[in-house]
Amino acid sequence: MTDAATSAIHCESLGRHYGDVVAVRDVSLDVGRGEFFALLGPNGAGKTTTVHMLTTLTTPTVGTASVMGFDVVKEAQQVRRALGLVFQDPALDERLTARENLEIHAVLYEIPRAERKARIEEALAWASLEDAGDRRVRTFSGGMKRRLELARALMHRPGVLFLDEPTLGLDPQGRRHLWERIQALRDEGMTVLMTTHYLHEAESCDRVAIIDGGSIVALGEPSELIRTTEGAKDLEDVFLTLTGNALRDEEPSPRALMKSFAQRGGEHTR
Amino acid sequence: MSSQTMQEPTRRIVPSVIGVMWRRELLRYRRDRSQIFGGVSRTTLWLLILGFGLGASLREIEGYTYAQYILPGVVTLNVLFASLQCAVALVWDREVGLLREVIVSPAPMLSVTLGKLLGGATIALAQGSIPLLLLPFLGIRPTVLGLLGVWATMFFMGLLITAFGIVIASRMKTFEGFGSISNGVIQPLYFLSGSIFPLKGIIGGVGFLQIPEALRDELRRAGVYAIGGGWVVQLPWWIEVLVYANPVSYQLDLMRYFLLGFQQLPMTADLLVTFALPPIAVVIAAMAMARAYKG
Repeated sequence: MTDAATSAIHCESLGRHYGDVVAVRDVSLDVGRGEFFALLGPNGAGKTTTVHMLTTLTTPTVGTASVMGFDVVKEAQQVRRALGLVFQDPALDERLTARENLEIHAVLYEIPRAERKARIEEALAWASLEDAGDRRVRTFSGGMKRRLELARALMHRPGVLFLDEPTLGLDPQGRRHLWERIQALRDEGMTVLMTTHYLHEAESCDRVAIIDGGSIVALGEPSELIRTTEGAKDLEDVFLTLTGNALRDEEPSPRALMKSFAQRGGEHTR
Repeated sequence: MSSQTMQEPTRRIVPSVIGVMWRRELLRYRRDRSQIFGGVSRTTLWLLILGFGLGASLREIEGYTYAQYILPGVVTLNVLFASLQCAVALVWDREVGLLREVIVSPAPMLSVTLGKLLGGATIALAQGSIPLLLLPFLGIRPTVLGLLGVWATMFFMGLLITAFGIVIASRMKTFEGFGSISNGVIQPLYFLSGSIFPLKGIIGGVGFLQIPEALRDELRRAGVYAIGGGWVVQLPWWIEVLVYANPVSYQLDLMRYFLLGFQQLPMTADLLVTFALPPIAVVIAAMAMARAYKG
């Protein structure tokens, strides 16, 4: 499982810089079909930029990458069709109902008209939101939104699922419930690449890559990484040994600024 | 972004995508009561307070009451607010709304943009029609053709302003409310369009003197419109330049022609700006969207 044709995800010396600032440098990795793969790293390490390059949201400045055999630059449309993505923050229209949000997805992904209704009901059932389908999303809890987004990302039957911090901001119950859903996908043979801060979630993945300063600093099965890192009892020890104890403070992103503005009740924010 | 990924698929026109994005805008509008309330209150304040209040001292403009004169202006104001609000919602939509989901989908950006633009123009049409409900009370009886003309103008004005707003929004990283857009964009476009005073000729005082008919005719030939009982003053040249450079001036002038039969600018210029400019703006907006959100 080391070449573009048989891997679900394949990158070679992938990199992205913004002017002089290098966000990601020389990332090479393969994710096999059906594999559960976690991308770990401190804030600002390059996880999200890597996911964005693999999902065609950001163009790499160096290197190549392919998803399900399609080149992320030259065959961006095929890549978009082949993947499902759940963003770190909800990407839902809060003024619309759950069903309306799913309808938009069905049209955007060209799901045939005759199948749309059935697929929408299927997605609502998958997310345990059958009774909430006609409620506006703004009345949903964080966990309900995340389940809805996950169900939506699966609606067009993608080959690979990208999850950017899927359980971030959920309470333990919500996180457990969502994690069970994700585990169920694994049993069905779905390929998943996720970024996470929760190391015991990563420990149950097939393989993990730890990324820091834009480069991969470790790659392998969790048990193997724990074994080969001196004095490490769990993945958290491995993580801290490799990435150091220094705090990673970041400037707020436009998104963070907008969110805080919305929380203060800013005008026209929904 | 490289030209390879911008190839054929992202430029495709997919009616179902246009339709769903259009419908989304309308659903959002219907569920935002504050916007409809804003349209009603704006109309009431401008027409009742300014139209009848100021109108009591400004007896007439070229034979029309002041409220009649500013009605197309109030329609324009509602169109400006509706279109820009729809466009600027993109900034919000990208950071914490549905837009990222749309960007990562295989849906062609051109169709997405067209849906958004048509949505903005349709909302502008709805909001712009609120002042028309007062037509009977203002003593204006437009013809059916005139009314259709007003709606066509409104729609195209909505397209133009939504497109303009999309170009602005696609360059905004963050945004703290609608206030800056309202003060920085809507008000100049509105006030520099002949919306509340005739393009040439502005009153210096209000009051006592009736302008003799002969003088009035002479002024009219010079393109200066007299306002009942006032001194007539020419706008400073630089404001005049801004007014003539403002496309809204022409669209508003055409709308006033359809409603009142009163026109201050050449018909050809009005028609050209109203109907030929928006398609160009639509193309520019589609390019701005593609560049900003698929890069």
